[in-house]
Formats: sequence, C-alpha cells, structure tokens
Amino acid sequence: MAQYQKVYGLGAEFNDAAALMAAAEKLRDAGFKNWDVHSPFPVHGMDAAMGLGKSWLSAPVLIGGAAGTLTAVLLTFIPSWGIYPLIVHGKPYDWRTVPAFFPIMFELTVLFASFTTVFALMIFSQLPKWYHPVFNWERFKRVTDNGFFVVIEARDPKFSETKTRELLESIGGKHVTLIHD
Amino acid sequence: MSHPHDLTPPEAEKFDPKHAGSLPKNLLLAGAAGILLSLIGLAVPSWREQFAFSWLFAFFFFFSICIGCLFWTCLHHASDSDWSVLVRRQLENVASLIPYFVLFFLPILACTSYLFKWWDLAPGADPLLDAKQGYLNHTFFYVRAAFYFSLLTLIALSLKKRSIAQDKDGSVSHSLMMRKLGVGGIPAVAIGITFSGIDWLMGLDFHWFSTMWGVYLFAGAAGSSMSLLVIIVSALKRRGYLSVVNEEHFHTMGKYMLAFSIFWAYIGFSQYMLIWYANIPEETIYFRIRNTGGWWYLSTLLVVGRFFLPFPVLLMQATKKAPQYLCAIAFWIIGMQLLDMYVIVLPALHETGLSPSLLDIFPLIGMGGILGWLFFRNLGKSYLFPTRDPRLAASLKLTN
Repeated sequence: MAQYQKVYGLGAEFNDAAALMAAAEKLRDAGFKNWDVHSPFPVHGMDAAMGLGKSWLSAPVLIGGAAGTLTAVLLTFIPSWGIYPLIVHGKPYDWRTVPAFFPIMFELTVLFASFTTVFALMIFSQLPKWYHPVFNWERFKRVTDNGFFVVIEARDPKFSETKTRELLESIGGKHVTLIHD
Repeated sequence: MSHPHDLTPPEAEKFDPKHAGSLPKNLLLAGAAGILLSLIGLAVPSWREQFAFSWLFAFFFFFSICIGCLFWTCLHHASDSDWSVLVRRQLENVASLIPYFVLFFLPILACTSYLFKWWDLAPGADPLLDAKQGYLNHTFFYVRAAFYFSLLTLIALSLKKRSIAQDKDGSVSHSLMMRKLGVGGIPAVAIGITFSGIDWLMGLDFHWFSTMWGVYLFAGAAGSSMSLLVIIVSALKRRGYLSVVNEEHFHTMGKYMLAFSIFWAYIGFSQYMLIWYANIPEETIYFRIRNTGGWWYLSTLLVVGRFFLPFPVLLMQATKKAPQYLCAIAFWIIGMQLLDMYVIVLPALHETGLSPSLLDIFPLIGMGGILGWLFFRNLGKSYLFPTRDPRLAASLKLTN
C-alpha cells in the first residue's frame, strides 16, 4: 500500500556558485517567494540576486541597545541617587555623578545589543532546528562539501510540480528531485 | 556573477576650472584680505596676544583636517581598500596642501612668548618646567616643528606624485610603492598629529598633561576630514562630475563619519573621566577653565553637537545613502571640529570666560581662503579619480 507523503518542494543542483547566482536571479524574476539557495560557503551578492532586500535585524538590535542603556541608567541612579546615596571619592551622588556611570551605560548597551543580535538572528533564521525535509534528499548532503542547491517549497503560490521542474531544468538545474516531508 | 572585467572602464574626468566660476578668485581675495587684517593684529602690540591665540586656533583647525586627509590616504593604501579608489584623489589633493602650513606657522613662531607660558621662563623658575626641560626647550621645539612638516610633506607629496604617475603609465609598481608609503605613513601621521598637538596645544599650559591628547586630536581630525571628503565629492557630483560615485560610496563614507563620531566621544569621555575621577589640580584645571563662564555653553554644545546629535542621525542607513543629508551632517561635523579647536585654544587666553574677538574670524577666513584657492588650483591639474588604478573596477561595483 503506497504511503501518503507530503511534498516539501523541488530541489535542483547547480555546478558552481556563478550558476547558482544566475539561477537565483532568474527565480527572483519569475516571482517565487518561498525558496532558498544552499551553498558550502557564503556567496557575495546572493542577497541581491535573491531579491531579499534590507535585513530587519537592525530594528531589534536598536531596541535591545536602548533597553541596555535604560537598564544601566536605572541600575546606577536608583541606588546612588535614590535609595542609598553615598559620597564616594568626594564626588557628588546626584545626577552630576553621571560620568562615573557612563562606562556602565556603554557596556550594558553593547551587551544587550549583542545578545539581541544573536537571539534575533536565531529567531529570524528559525534556529535551532532539529529536522529539515531537505535532508531527506540524499544528494543534498554534499551541500557542506561541493554542492550548490536551490530548493523551491511547495507552499509557494507559483509552485507546480511539472512547470517548476521544467523551469529548474531550463535554467541549468541538474538532478531535479521532488523532496518529501 | 559579474566579474570586474565585464565593466567598461569609465572615462577619465578632468575638472574644468570654468565650472568653479569666480569662486577660486573670490577665495583668494577673501584669503588675502583675511591674512592682511589678521596681520594688523600682529602689528599692534596690544592686539598681539589675541592675534596669537586666534591664529593658532585657525591654524590647527585647518592643519588637523589636512593631516586627517593624509591619514585616510595612507590607510586606504595600507589596507589595500577597493572602495576608496574613486574618491582618493580628493584626499590626496587636500593632503598635498600640508607644505603651505609652513608659511602659516611663521606667525606662530613670531608669537611663541605670548602663546607658550614656558617660553620665557628661566631655569629654576618653575620646578615643573625644570622637570620637562629635556622636551620643552627652544631648540628642540624648532627641530620638532621642522620634523613634522618635512615628514608629513614628504609622505603627502610622494603619495600624490605616485598616484598621478599611475594615471599616465598604469603601472602596478606605483600601487605597491604607495602601499609601502601608506604603511609607513600611518605611524608618521600618528607621530605628526600627537606631537604637534602636544607642542602647540597642550604646550599652551605646560603644567597640564593628558596621555589621550594625541588620540583625541586624531579622532576629531579623522572624522572632520572624512566629512570634508563627503562635501567635496558631492559638490563635484552636483557639477556633473564623478557620476561613477554612487550611494554605496556615500554609505561607506557615512559609516566612517559615524565611526569617528563615536570614537571621538569615546576618547573625549575617557580623557574627561580619568581627569574627573583622579581630581588632581594640575589636570582638572583644563576642564575647570572650560566650564567657567561662557565656556560652559560651548563645551556643552561640543559634547551634544559632536556626538549626541550626529550619532542617532548617522545610525540610519537612509541618511548615509542620501548625499544631500550626509552633506548637511558633514558641514555640521566640520563646524564642531572648529568649535572643538576654539574650546581648546581660546580658553587658554581668556580663562575667566568666553570673550569672542574679531581677530578670531580673520585668520580663519585668511587661511581658509588661501587653502581653498590652492585646492582649486590643484583640482584641475589631475584627473578627478585615479583612472588607471588596478582596483578601480572593484571600486566601481562597490556593494555594502
């Protein structure tokens, strides 16, 4: 009895980074949305070839950095100015002691901003991920060695099992394979 | 994937002096008038002290910007940068103005006893000066000044000469030689700006010292010279030149403006905080004077205007990619560099508070006019960008 298997998408292999880049440009122009390219190393200019646009990572980083500054302001001023004023080193303890606290504000801004960068990047990239359907395709394992792949997901509105296959073959894709979930 | 050799090399561009109109001539006239009016200050004995400080303020402002342009030229060669090839010629043009500062330095030499308190002090008069006798003496002062000017002139002119020679023969050997000059030029610039700053600015009060002084001056110089580059390049673009320079190049220059706004604040604050915390009278006097009377407003404006205003604006990518916005911020940063030099030099004369004088403006107009005129003279003499630099193609297709 044939078991029902959900289709994840269509995968195609390309010879090198240049062919992958050219293929990405054509798929971008064809209007695909849910697709990705995979290569053993980062390909410079691929984000433009895929039409990815500007990254949104800077927004959470700004919020993280601002939160860091605010945390430092509260952490330093509440004790020193409010609940436990103490004269240290002959310096004032009200807002005029702020030069002593600038390094803390700076450090916490950097710390919060960098943590936000790491974790926001993980969320944006949906990491960590324990399972991904592309690894059901035996050839795909070469992606960490010398394989250059394009995978178009079945949930893309333009996806068609036959037409997308023809398109991938026409732009130079080899070993075009249907990947199951 | 596009390769560098897919691109057609752009036509060599040369600046037509007609496009500048009467600007160079007016600059020369304004400059000459400014210098003459300032020299009246030198001639009248009761104005001489004010003249000396005003002249030094204007001198170091322009000197720091030219030395900053030399730094960027050296850095681009030392790090083998691609992006900067298209805009490098303008840096070379500004840096090659350094030799003329020898002339502008002459009035300072004439006024040393007004400017530097240590100049006329006899040995034994001040134990602090006696301890610094090995450095602060007349002979070594002259030797050092000659050394800064000759070293910086040598590097600036050799870099420009090589760069222009490459326009003609296209030989890679020039690039390799310029790389060596650039690697040697970075420590030369560091020595030049640190010790000239120590001699001519920190020396205004020989009791006072700060180990961050050289870095502080460098941070301001690098940021404001990058701003000047932005202004020059966008002005040329407005006249229809340098059409190959695109928003990616402005983005890169904007990033450097942002970086050096942050770096200036970092160094300036580090210098301030160490002095504030240690609370040693001969160190705190510097900030004490600059917080007295009207100086307080200028010091506060400097902190806000050099860092807190440009920082959030330059943080946005859109600002850095729009030449007209970036240009406005560049003018602002150069204005802040001017304020920085003013707050460094003039309080040493007017310790009780801000006391503006007409003589503060004349040397500024004088040197600015003459240097601007010299810049226009240089501008038309060579191509507007290094036409046969091997990295030109990479600079054309710059992506951030």
